[in-house]
Amino acid sequence: MTMRWEQLAKRQPVVAKMLQSGLEKGRISHAYLFEGRRGTGKKAASLLLAKSLFCLSPSGVFPCFQCRNCRRIDSGNHPDVRVISPDGETIKKEQIEWLQREFTKTAVESDKKMYIVEHAEQMTTSAANSLLKFLEEPHPGTVAVLLTEQYHRLLETVISRCQVFSFRPLPPSELADQLVGEGVPLPLALLAAHLTNSDDEALALSQDRWFAEARTVVLQLYEMLSKPELQLLFFVNDRWIPHFSEKHQLDLGLQLLFYLYRDLLHIQAGQTDGLLYSDQLERLQQWALTCPQRRILDGMEAILQAKARFHTTNMSTVLLVEQLALQLKR
Amino acid sequence: MNISIDREALAKSVQDVMKAVSTRTTIPILTGIKLTASARGVTLTGSDSDISIESFIPLEKEGRLLVDVKRPGSIVLQARFFSEIVKKLPQQTVEIETEDNFLTVIRSGHSEFRLNGFNADEYPRLPQIEEEHAFQIPADLLKAMIRQTVFAVSTSETRPILTGVNWKIEDGELVCTATDSHRLAMRKVKIGIESDWAYNVVIPGKSLNELSKILADGNHPIDIVITANQVLFKAEHLLFFSRLLDGNYPETARLIPTDSKTTVTVNAKEFLQAIDRASLLAREGRNNVVKLATLPGERLEISSVSPEIGKVTEQLKAESLEGEELNISFSAKYMMDALRALDGTDIQISFTGAMRPFVLRPLHSDSMLQLILPVRTY
Repeated sequence: MTMRWEQLAKRQPVVAKMLQSGLEKGRISHAYLFEGRRGTGKKAASLLLAKSLFCLSPSGVFPCFQCRNCRRIDSGNHPDVRVISPDGETIKKEQIEWLQREFTKTAVESDKKMYIVEHAEQMTTSAANSLLKFLEEPHPGTVAVLLTEQYHRLLETVISRCQVFSFRPLPPSELADQLVGEGVPLPLALLAAHLTNSDDEALALSQDRWFAEARTVVLQLYEMLSKPELQLLFFVNDRWIPHFSEKHQLDLGLQLLFYLYRDLLHIQAGQTDGLLYSDQLERLQQWALTCPQRRILDGMEAILQAKARFHTTNMSTVLLVEQLALQLKR
Repeated sequence: MNISIDREALAKSVQDVMKAVSTRTTIPILTGIKLTASARGVTLTGSDSDISIESFIPLEKEGRLLVDVKRPGSIVLQARFFSEIVKKLPQQTVEIETEDNFLTVIRSGHSEFRLNGFNADEYPRLPQIEEEHAFQIPADLLKAMIRQTVFAVSTSETRPILTGVNWKIEDGELVCTATDSHRLAMRKVKIGIESDWAYNVVIPGKSLNELSKILADGNHPIDIVITANQVLFKAEHLLFFSRLLDGNYPETARLIPTDSKTTVTVNAKEFLQAIDRASLLAREGRNNVVKLATLPGERLEISSVSPEIGKVTEQLKAESLEGEELNISFSAKYMMDALRALDGTDIQISFTGAMRPFVLRPLHSDSMLQLILPVRTY
């Protein structure tokens, strides 16, 4: 995905502004550290910075996205823009040594070189220490960008030698738009965007048939709450438990149920914008009419309690869901 | 692009540029070979970003038609497959035609390959050459210069600049220097250029080794062009580019002692063999050290002791021996490397004491020099 400065400015206003003014004044640091959660656009921002530096026909700091250099930065074929990512679990010392050898050579095409280290926190200690040497004695015309999700796992000495940029998490509505743009149906996109901040993860989730099914099961559960107890418990055991059999799946299921209650509360308060189950509006409106507000609030509390119990105790998941269902029914 | 080309000429060019293609590259496009067809002929390029080799196939050579360019253009093809395909094609002529989406058809006789190519725009651009900044060195001399210096480059990465050979052009003279901080090899050559040119670059030792392998023997001139990022060696129909090392090469001139307290002249071959014999036992020891002592009557004694294995002593008649008595130890490997690098039958060794570096030169010539630091023994 190619990112433009306007997009970066929207998502990460502070980062965009600082990087842009650095470019305008020709004050590019020798090492940057981009930290932020998955999917906050760190890699895209680093490639954008590369394009601004290497573009053949830029207008001001804005790259053209058309020239050979811009295209080759996207395809990973520019010989002076190198990306290093963990080889297996960690970034090995050999990789940093290779990088150091690269540092000592002249650039292939221009007088600038740029290195992007993905998952910098995965550097082994000896690799990080090797990198320190470069960070301490930068070569002119060389820019290093370290990307990390776990800022605190980096060596203090590495952090202190980089200019640090913090990337804010993405607003869910924007992520949802992005997913819709990639062909995900809106109802699923909205839910996925609220469940995770990473665009990759959200995309994978919303393309998973399991996830679409999960949403149906949650809606069905709410419907079953008005049925006799035995029928409800049968539903829990027959449909809910097999579908949410793994721990993380159950966690996600409870979260989906919580969002459903939240939507009901929104409708009762007269807000129909920003509903997560917006395609079910008619059903939800009906449910909201027949259910007192008190019960919705109690229900939300029960779900949160169930979630907390599920995380802190080793309670049987079957019992946990059965208990929750009965609480919600009351 | 649409060309038909002589298979043998193509295979030869592919073989040449394949020397630069690395299978372990992080840049996907560099797994390919670039083909460019123009009105003048066909150019093949291979690169691992450190070195790049360009081979040119002219339209005709010695009256034989090699290439017919029907439609100029360029394409990048997977090197691994393309080289194998070219080797095994059945007929003498090969047709290469690109279609939409970089699909490339390779035809020869009744055999037809369809290869998925890459956009040639993605391929790294090699520096543009300004011919007027070229100077020439005959191939044999260039190879000798490389052989005489490149062995002394450092293999350790602690000082990366020392992994290259320093090429310094000043006053119409090219001085090549390599050192790993324990020894130093230097070679001077007069080159026919205007004296106001000055260059000071460091070429990676690995690149020079590759260059030496790919250059044909002979006396044909090699054009050399130095640009800001790269150095280019140009033989007939073959271009060899190498990246340079970035940084300042240490000043080495003042390391070379000018005075001498003991001067020995020996026959290079005899001396080399004696050191080789002495090192047979020393090799097992920790650092391959042999000892050299002067004896009266222009004789030298070479010895080596390894306590667990044994001892070797050998006496050698020097051609001449002047100056103070001397007792010095040094690495046999460095000495043998230096002796092999020097041309000439007789060499002169100048010592300035047992703890100071000493210098080897061919007799009556100061165009080459080898310097070795002695080893301290107790």
